[in-house]
Amino acid sequence: MRPDDRHYLPSHEWVKSDGDTVVFGITDFAVEELSHGNEDDLVYCDLPEPGRKLIQGETFGEIESVKAVADLNSPVGGEVIEVNKTIEDHLQVLAKDPWDKGWLVRVKPDDNSTEHLLDAAGYEASVGEAEG
Amino acid sequence: MWRLIESWDASPELNMGLDEALLEDDEAAPTLRLYTWSPDTLSLGYFQKWEDVAHKDQAGAIVRRITGGGAIHHQAELTFSIVLPQQHTLFQGPVPLSYKRIHAALLDALLEFGIQARLRGDVVLQSDRNGSGMCFHESTPLDVTWGDRKGVGSAQRRRAGRVLHHGSIKLGSTPLEGEIATVEAALGSECTPQNFAPVLLAAMEQRFAVRFERAQPSPAEKQVARSLGQRYSSEAFLRRR
Repeated sequence: MRPDDRHYLPSHEWVKSDGDTVVFGITDFAVEELSHGNEDDLVYCDLPEPGRKLIQGETFGEIESVKAVADLNSPVGGEVIEVNKTIEDHLQVLAKDPWDKGWLVRVKPDDNSTEHLLDAAGYEASVGEAEG
Repeated sequence: MWRLIESWDASPELNMGLDEALLEDDEAAPTLRLYTWSPDTLSLGYFQKWEDVAHKDQAGAIVRRITGGGAIHHQAELTFSIVLPQQHTLFQGPVPLSYKRIHAALLDALLEFGIQARLRGDVVLQSDRNGSGMCFHESTPLDVTWGDRKGVGSAQRRRAGRVLHHGSIKLGSTPLEGEIATVEAALGSECTPQNFAPVLLAAMEQRFAVRFERAQPSPAEKQVARSLGQRYSSEAFLRRR
């Protein structure tokens, strides 16, 4: 079971509340899809600069594995206030720990709405078929 | 049934713009494109740094792709793209599995020409070189090789539940890529894109259990392609990194 202290997009991004901010990341499923167990297969990640306004559902960054570039989608709208700069140079951190040390950006959200997102059980169901 | 769109000697902007138009359109039918480039074009990978690719002045045109990987000199090759929803069986699961499925069809097609190609695996290739920034000078275990050299360049873009897969099958040699695997070198005779295409189609029909129907892009797709295509050769996009 994935962590139930956060919400999810079907495209495998997660968002977690932390005080009056939220933190975005990607799930273990996304990491596995991109790298298939080879942590060195994640090679580049572009994240937004602090101050950038993010729109719910739109792209906030991009990640490249050895063989694919994938968009990163915003679970909620808001303003970027901090970026995990470690990730851009050390993607193994993301590959090893996508739930904690591998967080991507911290955002001041436009509102606290989560109705459009999946909870952990809903996300499990959405990826369950693919995981077989 | 998939659409087959052939674009022979198309401009680099049209080639890249049409691929992105198909990726962006949720309603687009499953599509295989086969194409060649005019003029010959050097395409940079999406994340490559501009200064990390040498000899940029030696190609007829330059674009930056939205797919990853290294730079490719599109000359003497058959380029293909596949655009499908990510849920399609071809793209389900980890990215490397989708490469295995697509490359199985390429190996079949090459075998029809008598070329015993294989995935690289753990072999060190003679075509690998450090520091050129060229796709064909770097390799991964799933790359298609023959004669211990890389002969097909591949990359993907995944966006909003859809996948664009690019493949470049080297038919002849190019000055920027040097001694890589080519179909012509293996055959000892000329092989044009139009020679290779029907064999590739038959192999894909067999492997993917699909049928292809020749089609033209719709007027709307052409319009979006023209609009999107301008970005690929713009200074801002070329030098984004």
